[in-house]
Amino acid sequence: MTDVHVLLLPVGADLYALPVDWACEVVTAPTLTPLATAPPVVIGLFNLRGQIVPLLDTAGLLGLGRVEATAFAVVVTGAHGLAALATTGFPRRQMLDVPTGPSDLPGTTGLYQVGQQVAALLDPPALLSPERVRDPAARLDLTSTGGG
Amino acid sequence: MSGMSPERVRRLFAQEAEVRLAELGRLLLRLEQNVDDETLVGSVFRELHTLKGSAAVAGLDEVSRMAHHLEEVVEEVRAGRRPITAEVIDMLLRGTDQLGAAVSGTQVDGPEVDSTHAEPATTNGLQKPRPSEARPPARPTTPPPVDRASVPAGARSDPPEGPAGGGGFIMVPVERLEELTRLVGETASAQLRVGRMLNDRFHVDPATCAEFNELSRSLNDLREHAMRAQMVPVSTITDQLHRAVRDLSRAQGKDVRWEAEGIDTEMDRGVLHRLSDSVMHLVRNAIDHGIESPAERERAGKQPRATLRLHAMQLGAEVIIAVSDDGRGIDTESVEREANRLGIDIEGLTQEERLGLSFRAGLSTAQFVTDVSGRGVGLDVVRTSVEAAQGRVEVRSEPGVGTEFRIIVPITVAVLRCLLVEAAGQRFALPFHRVLLSQAHEPSTVTHAEGRPVVWVDGHPVPVRPLGETLGLAGGGKPEGPVVVLAGASRRHAFGVDRLVGQRDVVIKALSPLLPRLPLVAGAGVEPDGSILVVLDPPGLIERAGQTGRTSGPKAPAVGPGAARRSVLVVDDALVVRELQRGILERAGFDVRVATDGQHALTKLAQERSDLVVTDIEMPTMDGFALTEAIRAHPSLANTPVLIVSSRASDSDRQRGMDAGADGYITKSAFDETSLVTAVNRLLGVTA
Repeated sequence: MTDVHVLLLPVGADLYALPVDWACEVVTAPTLTPLATAPPVVIGLFNLRGQIVPLLDTAGLLGLGRVEATAFAVVVTGAHGLAALATTGFPRRQMLDVPTGPSDLPGTTGLYQVGQQVAALLDPPALLSPERVRDPAARLDLTSTGGG
Repeated sequence: MSGMSPERVRRLFAQEAEVRLAELGRLLLRLEQNVDDETLVGSVFRELHTLKGSAAVAGLDEVSRMAHHLEEVVEEVRAGRRPITAEVIDMLLRGTDQLGAAVSGTQVDGPEVDSTHAEPATTNGLQKPRPSEARPPARPTTPPPVDRASVPAGARSDPPEGPAGGGGFIMVPVERLEELTRLVGETASAQLRVGRMLNDRFHVDPATCAEFNELSRSLNDLREHAMRAQMVPVSTITDQLHRAVRDLSRAQGKDVRWEAEGIDTEMDRGVLHRLSDSVMHLVRNAIDHGIESPAERERAGKQPRATLRLHAMQLGAEVIIAVSDDGRGIDTESVEREANRLGIDIEGLTQEERLGLSFRAGLSTAQFVTDVSGRGVGLDVVRTSVEAAQGRVEVRSEPGVGTEFRIIVPITVAVLRCLLVEAAGQRFALPFHRVLLSQAHEPSTVTHAEGRPVVWVDGHPVPVRPLGETLGLAGGGKPEGPVVVLAGASRRHAFGVDRLVGQRDVVIKALSPLLPRLPLVAGAGVEPDGSILVVLDPPGLIERAGQTGRTSGPKAPAVGPGAARRSVLVVDDALVVRELQRGILERAGFDVRVATDGQHALTKLAQERSDLVVTDIEMPTMDGFALTEAIRAHPSLANTPVLIVSSRASDSDRQRGMDAGADGYITKSAFDETSLVTAVNRLLGVTA
């Protein structure tokens, strides 16, 4: 089993692990502009050296309510450009060893022990998709064809 | 060769061929109107000859062969052995299309132009000339020089110059130009930030700093030039329009003269590209619906030959493209009947606003779509694409006299003049070309009509609503704040704001593709202080305000972002249907969640209620009837309206749905965007 190099993201009482290759930089409490009519997981927009980046509610993306207050924004680059994940504590690097078990939440791929805590490893492509931003609770059943 | 890979050579040939084929098409259309112009014949011959040679060099033997066959036909014409008839032009144009398709690797309908066409025979519409038809023998045996000066300057698309060509043109990948423009656009906000920093950190007024002013001037020049590098003439799209007019009018037996004026007017390439389909649609629409047959025109006392005219002009920072015809005009009575059928309130609309109804989804489809002009879409698509380019479309029509559509767009959408306002404590930008006027709040101008407040504007009552409330923001707005009147395609709407901040050129950036399309937001820009300025979309605002602004009762206070939005749960096991309905309802301003069957829907409703449920019938696990019954049986859900959308159209199914407790039933065969939104609005109105 290869170790996974991650950035640990504190979100409330939970801990999530983002594969480090996905992270561009960490911004401290960015100045946010609310985006009227946007889905609830979009906390707002911030300016990253002239680029307009949406800050996404990490807990909201996972269907777990809302992040109370954004302490840091972890800027992530994906197939749909830049976006940022909100955290409530300082993100730090970590090597994850073997998984301790499967995870239940869609958008995660397993649970790992980090000291006395458990971190859920995030699946960025699944998490950072337009469908999930629009409706984190939606189940996109691509196999169904439907009648009726 | 010069060490270039075959792949590179073919790419270059494709670039060259695109330019030459476009020129060839132009020449052929001109030749049809000027059959005795030997210079034109020579130019056509030369283009084909050059294409043939270049294709052979690129190793594209088939393309070379096709060009050769066309060249032989033109040689027959040039030698005076074949007259220029409409059929010959048909064949040469079709051959040009086939050459283009062969170069790009696509297919073109119609018989291939082969070597038999080149024979002076009677096949494929080509005729042997009768002696009286034969061209004069005095034609030159070699092609004369091309009269390039006769091509409008803007329409000229010369092949690329070689390295030794000195000045002239070079081909630059579009992506590179776009990146250049984007980077130059960044300098605008960077410049503002530097000015602010000078002021804040060094207490220097930037306006008094010579170095800063010089930098500003240089950056302004740079921006101007970068923008101009992306500008192309309107003539870029008129050749294909001319061709469409010719082909369509011939196919429909109509006699149409095409006129194009002001085609050297330049505008942003991206804007023009976005508009090209819309203009084509209007042109096809004019021939299909507006222009009468020659016999009908004569009966109406008109010239049998109709005129279809495109006129482009620049007016300030906007470009107007007008497409006008002298046909029968729009049947406004029919538009009004259709509007009534769809439940659209037309009372109090001006004549112009009634004509503007033809741009509404559903209405435009019923009125204007055929397989020719519509190709499955209506004038609402024209409006949508024009609005996507930050433009607007207007229509004027007079029965029996003709119709004129005007597309009005900013020269570039990279920088947009905006009115900055504050609403619900936030700052927003409104594109200036949509702002009719802004005025201070005057209680005497505000009254109430049809269940909503209105203000008097130019003698007309215009509905008014707080901007913050329209956006679903808490603290909707000050009742005594100023009012901004915005104009849409067929409606005007006023919005109350907290205060007017001023005007500014905003470098608009698209929002992240990760975000869904937000109908009320056009984009965002960066403020001098580094904060984000959200640019609103006036047509979207007007539509949203029109949907939700009519209420005679006291309004419930908004409690936070999204509080004013109504939520709909869409239940369907078919992904395509689900996503289609979601898109329609989101565009109409609803918050939409989806579920894949009845059981899934109940789980979602247990997590969070929705204001309305739209459900299919046939689904796995739990069907739509059972879901409706379950909702009616649930104490906290029982009052939730249910709309069934099903392909089952029998009366018994409809009755069963109603018996189960559904509030509405739409069959998918009659389903369209308007009927769904109308039904949802109606049901939510009942329960509001």
